[in-house]
Amino acid sequence: MEEITLTINGKKISARPGSSILDAATENGIKIPTLCHHRHLTPVGACRICLVEDEKSGRIMASCVTPVSQDMAIRTDSPTVRRHRTNIVRLMMANHPESCIVCSRGNKCELRQVAADLGVGITGLYPMPYYRGLEQANPFIIRDLSKCILCGRCIRADHELVVVGAIDYNLRGFRSRPATAHDMPLEKSECTFCGTCVSLCPTGALSIGNPRYVGSPEKESATVCGFCGVGCTLVMGSVDGQVVETNPSHEDETVNQSTLCVRGHFAHDFLNVKERLTRPLIRKGGELSPSTWEEALNLISERLLSIKKTHGPQSLGLYGSSKCTNEENYLFQRIARSLLETNNVDNGGNVNGLSTMNAVAQRLGGSIPPARLSALEDAEVILVIGADPTQSLPVVGYFLKRASRNNGVPMIVADPRKNGLVPFASLWLPLSPQTDSDLIHALAAILYKREAFDARYIDRFTQGFDLYQKGLAAFDLGRASRSTGLESGLMEEAADQLQGKKIAFVVGQGVLLQRNGVQTMHALLNLALMTGSLGDQKRGIYILASENNGIGALDMGCAPGFLPGRGLVTDEARREYWERIWGVRLSPDPGLSMVRMVEEAEKGNLKALYVMGENPLRGFPEIERVRRAFQNLEFLVVQDILSNETGALADVVLPGAAFSEKAGSFTNLEGRIQSFESVVLPQGEAKPDLEILAQLAYRMGQADQDFSLLKIRREIRRVIPAYSELRDDPGQSWVTEMGDLGQADEEGHPVEFTPIAFAADRLRDDTYPLEGILTSTRLHLGSGTRTGLSARITGFSQGGDVELSFEDAARLDLVNGDQVRVSSKYGAVARRVRVKKDLPFGLVYIPVAFYGNEARQLVALTQPGKEESPGWMQVSVKVEKIENNEQ
Amino acid sequence: MDHEFSADEETLKDIASELTRFEIKRSNVIPILQMIQERHAYLAPEAIRMVAEHLGMAACEVYGVATFYNQFRFQPPGKHQIKVCLGTACHVKGGDIILENFERKLGISEGQTTPDREFSIDRVACVGCCALAPVAIVDETVYGKVAPSKVEGLILGFEIEKEKEERRKQRDESN
Repeated sequence: MEEITLTINGKKISARPGSSILDAATENGIKIPTLCHHRHLTPVGACRICLVEDEKSGRIMASCVTPVSQDMAIRTDSPTVRRHRTNIVRLMMANHPESCIVCSRGNKCELRQVAADLGVGITGLYPMPYYRGLEQANPFIIRDLSKCILCGRCIRADHELVVVGAIDYNLRGFRSRPATAHDMPLEKSECTFCGTCVSLCPTGALSIGNPRYVGSPEKESATVCGFCGVGCTLVMGSVDGQVVETNPSHEDETVNQSTLCVRGHFAHDFLNVKERLTRPLIRKGGELSPSTWEEALNLISERLLSIKKTHGPQSLGLYGSSKCTNEENYLFQRIARSLLETNNVDNGGNVNGLSTMNAVAQRLGGSIPPARLSALEDAEVILVIGADPTQSLPVVGYFLKRASRNNGVPMIVADPRKNGLVPFASLWLPLSPQTDSDLIHALAAILYKREAFDARYIDRFTQGFDLYQKGLAAFDLGRASRSTGLESGLMEEAADQLQGKKIAFVVGQGVLLQRNGVQTMHALLNLALMTGSLGDQKRGIYILASENNGIGALDMGCAPGFLPGRGLVTDEARREYWERIWGVRLSPDPGLSMVRMVEEAEKGNLKALYVMGENPLRGFPEIERVRRAFQNLEFLVVQDILSNETGALADVVLPGAAFSEKAGSFTNLEGRIQSFESVVLPQGEAKPDLEILAQLAYRMGQADQDFSLLKIRREIRRVIPAYSELRDDPGQSWVTEMGDLGQADEEGHPVEFTPIAFAADRLRDDTYPLEGILTSTRLHLGSGTRTGLSARITGFSQGGDVELSFEDAARLDLVNGDQVRVSSKYGAVARRVRVKKDLPFGLVYIPVAFYGNEARQLVALTQPGKEESPGWMQVSVKVEKIENNEQ
Repeated sequence: MDHEFSADEETLKDIASELTRFEIKRSNVIPILQMIQERHAYLAPEAIRMVAEHLGMAACEVYGVATFYNQFRFQPPGKHQIKVCLGTACHVKGGDIILENFERKLGISEGQTTPDREFSIDRVACVGCCALAPVAIVDETVYGKVAPSKVEGLILGFEIEKEKEERRKQRDESN
């Protein structure tokens, strides 16, 4: 369409048809004051501050909601406009309480800014503030509606950005206000406490709860969230070297734009807890006592080298961190492989599900091509499987809900229970647990029978389709219907929605950590290949990495069996490549996973372990076994930011720096590499982890090497082609293609289809008749080491309740709020019970991370993704009522 | 939802069956709310939720629409409905004082119902007997020249009535 030309303040400009006067002015550097407007929200014209005058007609109109038209002549600052604008601000100020001096919005208050710009110092009106009680019922949000200017940003944030529907305007006229249905407290509404409304509120009507500081922070700087794999950009405000508040950056190019989740927004108060480590500790006479860095690092270097000399490199293990930066993980595994000559390296993200992804990624030559989250909003069809991102990765949940609600993208949700996405789904497939692979095969078989596959794509990028299609043709749909518990009509309906479309798969820990995880991933990959749904950034398989840098830690080679860039250790050519770079010989042994390291420590074969930024003594199943194994070690080093369960067993504890206290880069689940700078300095004597590792490498014989951040980044760019774009300055780049897809006609190999097999039958155990499913909640991340120390999170009492169906509750004579003991072969937890009407019977949902993450103690210590592993997700349990006198 | 003004099972069943008559479009929200109020005299929290579910809206949106209009009430009318006139004559003669007396005595504001659902208070504009101002109508009876002491007396009368009723019940049960 042709551009429209108009004049604003006498300046001739052109604008896109349909754009508002405000947008056209802003694009041309003409500033119009606004209050209710925000570029991430639909304009509503509520505040009238952005009034402009039409020169020809003299009409006054709100520029945010008036579209441009040809030959328009606009004045944004005429005396009439100024008079109207000033009057509106005067009225707002007259209605506003005089509390600026104690208002935490401080200098960031937009009303104050607009008033100051217009020179409204004294309103000259009778003050009529509408006092209402200050509401501070939950630890997250403080509401002072007397400061509300009814701009509706909070309401639009709630409806449009995070699609929750907790608040709307109530009443009208003077009594109007944003509130929940029936004016219930937020805790009793659908509110998820993402705080998006708080960060968008132009005044102090909504502010962050439990502030440690009132007023504007001294300094604000951007960083990347250290919780889940979405990698939201945060702006952290600090005072006296301490982070006091967190907000989204509102930048367009970030993943999260104006949104965040409850963890990202509110749980970072854990950064200032007394449990933070501030100086190195060495065990002397059984007690951990403070030491100098010099002493601690010398001891570690001596002990590790001497154990290596006496027992061989295989007796050493290193556990890296999916929470640490790319640079740190790179150096960590380099120390392991080149200095300590062991390939026994792993990281927490790999243990918690990403190893399942890896097992399948090998078919694609290393990695599943990452797809961009923004592409979800205009996907053709979405299939969500084994995931409730509204709890686990809330920002992904927003993308999905927006896709469905705003753009009408069909979304199929396969989950045994009615999870948070189901109300937005076009179809819900309530399948039996662990039968996901049968469902995927069945969908593939139905699509195949309808000849709904992408023959050109199959021909170009894959091989082995002949065998696969034979499997599909012979597939027993009746059996799949019985095993999944889904009627065949429902599966046909799902196929209707998928037919002829490119599918975006959203895969969560429900698949990655389950018993049939690898099988399910293979099935998914087959279906993706068959429908041609893989290979560009617009669709594909979204793996919901639960840790902020799980993907990066893998890419950096901090995982057993993998070298940096996801090359296999067992691949001689890859080994030779790295031997040339590091100038050392590499062991062809693939190395032990962390679970195997625990087993070897039990047997006494593993003598020393270096744990960086992980807390296996809270995150692992069979904690007592892990504890005994660690006690069996000759030497345990823990480098962490918090004094935790694992650190308590260590011989040396090194205080590292949290993400906000150092520079580095994280890679999110889309393959977005985000470089960031520090917000504040490390606490006490703590050091950035990279510096600790560099000093250690120096002491272990690499005195000639410079392991500074810049040097490491340069090395990564040079030697890991996928990271050639890694930036030195804060900002983002993208992982370039590592796999075969999209290169099939050049150097890539065709991708192989794998055969079809039915999932193994459920493991039944009469003593434990119910099926326990471990779930994550939005309040906590992972095992809850960090979120469990957030005063806001722990101050919010809800959570941790075990959920079961009406039928089971009736049978066990349980009502809401009863105390129960849930036990499996491996452990037991005592929790309160909540009876849910939408749950299928036979299932018990047990949230992890609460109460020291004891729920993990219900499952067995095995490596998820390995064939014999029953997974970390489901386990047979029994539920018993705890009578009052037992307590 | 546990709420003091929850609707009973029968009401909910009726609403559920009536809802099916309405097409799923947002513009139906007001006709649906009117239908519910007409049949059940008020909009219970569950009713709002059911409407929201039926139309695929958030409950807060439906509630927001409903509270915008004065015609909807969210509390059931009390067993005894008190209407205080605030028309011109009653206003001049201190009708607002009468309203305030009722409110203070019963611990609720106009437009609300006591938690035991015995009383509800509403304000009305001119009931047409200005000569008797200030006027209050309790159930079907018009009380003229109301004074604060009369408010006390009225409520006391109802409470005594209720007390007697209960004693009679107890006596019947023990016999």
